[in-house]
Amino acid sequence: MSQGESPELRTVGKPVRRFDALSKAIGATVYADDFKMPGMLYGKALRSPYPSARIVRIHTDRARALPGVACVLTAADIGYAKMIADIPGQTGQRERRGSETPVLAWDRVRYKGEAVALVAAESEELAERALELIHVEYEPLPGVFNPVEAMKPGAPVVFEPDNVVARWKIRKGDVKAGFAAADLIVENTYRVPFVEHAYLEPESGVAWVDERGVINIRVSTQVMEHFRTIARTLGVPQNRVRVQGAFVGGGFGGKEDITTELFLALLAQHTRRPVRLVYTREESILAHSKRHPYIIHHRIGVKKSGRITAVQIELIADSGAYPYLTPYVLLYSTVMATGPYRVDNVWVDAVAAATNNPFTSAFRGFGGPQPCFAYESQMDEIARALGKDPLEVRRVNYLQAGDTTGTGQVIRHPPLLEETARRALEALGEKTPDHGPVRVGRGFASYFQSYGRLMWLHDTSQAWVGMEMDGTVVVRCGAPDHGGGQLSSLCQIASEVLGVPMANVVAYTPDTALTPLAGTTTATRQLYMSGNAVFQAATAVRRVLLDRASKHFEEDPENLDLADSRVFVKSDPDRSLPLVDLVRMCAAEGLPLSNLALFKAPFRDPIDLETGQGDVFPDFTFGTFAVEVGVDTETGQVTVLKNVACHDVGRAINPAAVIGQIQGGSYQGLGYALMENLIVENGEIKTPSLSEYLVPTAVDYPTTQVILLESGTGVGPFGAKGIGEPALTPAAPAVANAVADALGVRIYELPLTPERVLAALERAGDRS
Amino acid sequence: MLPEFELLMPRSLPEALEMLAGSAPDVLPIAGGTNLIPDMRGGRYRPGLLLNVAGLPELCAIRREEEWLVIGGGVTIADLLDDPLVAQHAPVLREAARMLASPLVRNRATVAGNLANASPAADTAPPLLVLDAEVELASRGESRRVPLREFFVHVRRTVRRPDELITTIRIPLPPAGSSARFFKVALRNADAIAVVNGAVRVDRDGAGRCQGARIALGAVAPTPIRVPEAEAALEGQWLTPEVIARAARLAAEAARPIDDLRGSAAYRQHVTAVMVRRALAEHGTRNTE
Amino acid sequence: MEPRPIILTVNGRTHQVALKPNVTLLHALRDLGYTDVKNGCEKGDCGACTVLLNGKAVNSCLVLAWQADGAQITTAAGLGTVDHPHPIQEALADSGGIQCGFCTPGIVVAAKALLDRNPDPTEEEIREAISGNLCRCTGYSLIIEGIKAAAARLAGGER
Repeated sequence: MSQGESPELRTVGKPVRRFDALSKAIGATVYADDFKMPGMLYGKALRSPYPSARIVRIHTDRARALPGVACVLTAADIGYAKMIADIPGQTGQRERRGSETPVLAWDRVRYKGEAVALVAAESEELAERALELIHVEYEPLPGVFNPVEAMKPGAPVVFEPDNVVARWKIRKGDVKAGFAAADLIVENTYRVPFVEHAYLEPESGVAWVDERGVINIRVSTQVMEHFRTIARTLGVPQNRVRVQGAFVGGGFGGKEDITTELFLALLAQHTRRPVRLVYTREESILAHSKRHPYIIHHRIGVKKSGRITAVQIELIADSGAYPYLTPYVLLYSTVMATGPYRVDNVWVDAVAAATNNPFTSAFRGFGGPQPCFAYESQMDEIARALGKDPLEVRRVNYLQAGDTTGTGQVIRHPPLLEETARRALEALGEKTPDHGPVRVGRGFASYFQSYGRLMWLHDTSQAWVGMEMDGTVVVRCGAPDHGGGQLSSLCQIASEVLGVPMANVVAYTPDTALTPLAGTTTATRQLYMSGNAVFQAATAVRRVLLDRASKHFEEDPENLDLADSRVFVKSDPDRSLPLVDLVRMCAAEGLPLSNLALFKAPFRDPIDLETGQGDVFPDFTFGTFAVEVGVDTETGQVTVLKNVACHDVGRAINPAAVIGQIQGGSYQGLGYALMENLIVENGEIKTPSLSEYLVPTAVDYPTTQVILLESGTGVGPFGAKGIGEPALTPAAPAVANAVADALGVRIYELPLTPERVLAALERAGDRS
Repeated sequence: MLPEFELLMPRSLPEALEMLAGSAPDVLPIAGGTNLIPDMRGGRYRPGLLLNVAGLPELCAIRREEEWLVIGGGVTIADLLDDPLVAQHAPVLREAARMLASPLVRNRATVAGNLANASPAADTAPPLLVLDAEVELASRGESRRVPLREFFVHVRRTVRRPDELITTIRIPLPPAGSSARFFKVALRNADAIAVVNGAVRVDRDGAGRCQGARIALGAVAPTPIRVPEAEAALEGQWLTPEVIARAARLAAEAARPIDDLRGSAAYRQHVTAVMVRRALAEHGTRNTE
Repeated sequence: MEPRPIILTVNGRTHQVALKPNVTLLHALRDLGYTDVKNGCEKGDCGACTVLLNGKAVNSCLVLAWQADGAQITTAAGLGTVDHPHPIQEALADSGGIQCGFCTPGIVVAAKALLDRNPDPTEEEIREAISGNLCRCTGYSLIIEGIKAAAARLAGGER
């Protein structure tokens, strides 16, 4: 059985029920906060009320004296520890300058909500009381609250020396000549806001020190490899920190950085008792990262035919108070800034600046969605200016196999972009007519989004697959599952390769003591990387089984197959053996019935810092999202009437899971377009809970119709591509285009609130 | 975690009123708690003493008393949605109930609570205002009726004394030929505080002319308000587009909204005119009989 | 503020617990071990804590435990087990309407309340019934399909 070839598949490609689904439905799944240990203490963090202040002194005596308080920690108590907030889990990467982040602030706070002290007490009530008894003397300092201001000389310094956290550039071809050759140049500025992940499960965990002195942390996280950072920050060896990954109640990148892990570990280490720490919703919104707001200046030159001659883009991102993963997010934006189009002359300048705003880091798309809003809006602007059909303008520019991206990476396989656009638009059906004050508009957005990590991170994933004596299968893979069905897909792969029904395959949840490290559940990499690792490991076990069976049947292994827990001769299926019998034969002869496989993504060197040229990602996913909206021109309200997503997913290992990801990502994208706005004023979050920060409910948008293309050209198992992040990227831009179509005028920022719609209509001189 | 408080658990209305009398003024009634509990968590209230009135048997009925529809203060928003008397006599109240918060909140939130909380955006207020509702306030040994128009004093302040409970909301049955509409503009389709809300009622004479209009607006002033200037512009008139437009404009002018994170004052004013106009136009289709 | 003993009947089991007045039903249930009732926001915005209180679907974070004294409470775990799951639980597991699963118990309960009142709901009625339950993963569509399938199974006599 080889990759990409598709004999009749039995489990892969079927919408089988995920193994974790029923347990979740009956409420039996033990999430991080559902776990109790005897003698457990309650931990809480004290957070700064100021976005920018000097800490003069912290008075903890009264808190420490409160009966029932086991521990009060400030930075002084933890050796002024800093953690490295950098891309975790890779090897061979030196840590990035400026990626150090205080665990607890001591001389300065840089954002409202920054943690200043920790307590652990016998009850939640006592912990809250203890926080109230800690008195911090602050001296508020001037702050800076937008990245453009932050880069001006004289701005308060949040990140030494000049608030610039990262810069990337692309210099490809000759943009001057490209613009000179253009018949039309379209130039606009686009803005997108802070966005909140709003996963249903707030950050939570329990930590304890076990009998060997190993710090155990059972936590809701997207990254198991944080144990290295935790060990280093605590000053203990890496083999003495154990992270157990619970099923995660939603991540979307918000649990990619360390959230509660270090607090838990420190409190457990200092008290020598189990400690539970859970964020309230308001604390979650305050304390974790956000999607980067961007200002995007986009200048594009085209011929009369619509063919792009040059593109010049400036990306300005708000990094917030600490860098976290900003440099990488900015890089992704840079790589994908030109969109899924063939552009020979590219000039991109990307900069991220620190401010005293909430810190920004990973969020589904990781820098892909923001440029998509700009480039897809621009494509429609071009169409309008040239009087051409929006699809035609894209058709003459869509990447084809053999073309290069903005960074010069060759697209190896046909991207199917035109087909995704055509089919998505077709599926919208007949256009709903205007009615009363409601104008109906249609729009679409095509995109490309990477899956798999930056290749110079030398990404790997490991998995162990083994067969028990009764023919059941165990998968051990350290892949955190936060709902994308990652673990279940691994079971499907093992089930397919070993011919064992899904019910007989178990995947153990990740535990750094017990499961091989599989890397982060981020970057839409897990199915690709761990799926391949499982495929390799299962294939190795399969080979042992079939080799032994070939002796038994006196047939070539190529003539044998495994299915329904039997081994049989393909040309004569009645000649078969129960799998258990074959397993016993192998075991009796000491043949290995398990395998630990390491899958490597391609390893490359970093891109050229001057030109931005180089191969960056293992592969990309391509697709189109199309939407029809009704805009009430009197109230400004936008109603989504129909929406369709068409993506080439390579191969849908579990079609139900893939459709679920696409519908979920699309819904988040529609929210990004129309209602999600984490309002920050002078560093203060004005939408502190889910009453103010609105995410879409079940009655806000209609079902996304999903059309799957399966080219089989992905680098994942069975030719699969990644879809988790790509699902979100094109939705908001498509809505922006649809609204512009309805109104005849464009809005250049998200979300497209009713007030912005009315303002746009007024600009167009068309107020009803 | 909620702040500490004492909680009194009366089993009947007389007992509740007795307890209130004994502990006023430092006591707050709690029924569904759908505003009070979030407010306590958020630190807006730190009441030392609460009085549970959820499920008090005397407060849970909806009945017709001659020419009045009488709704018990403990009736939940979900009860309003299900009740045939409300559907028959006060469908505008039902429209508002459908758009209030979420189905889960509606199973606990009470009409009395919605009024007593006195948010300017309370969804039951505009319909009850155009229905000329009265609020019955009972205390130990005494009860009084206050027209809803006089009940709201300011943001989150009403004429309810600390020793009083809202026992009923009384609605005079509208005459034949009366119809009313509710509207709500919000930033999503469920579980959202109104940017503006309101209700419009038009009663007609035998010829079809407007004989008594009532317009109420929410979220555009410190309390839900009636708009007499706009109502006067409709009195005795045929509801032509011009008459409607004028009334809508007057309604918007009477609104005194503020800027807040849900919307600007200018937007609220604009959309008030639009929604009042639309609500009136729905009545106006019967104009040419 | 003294704890007072109250009786909570949860999934058919009676518990007597001494609780202070400021304890919500959400916390009382989780402390009793009913961790299928989730804490997503603690102020009625998300629906993850949904339980049936005397048959009505409510946010347990907005009920004081004392207010539930003597009441019948049903959580998702009370509707089905791994060996005998409720048709709603089966149908959601099969439809793909469960991803991270954190909203799922609340949605199961809201769906039960819906189907008890309205055994043959339209798509619109289903959306309305779960409009107080936020889901960040699925976009709701496969949840709705699951609830529709559950309705069909229940109508077909499945218990």
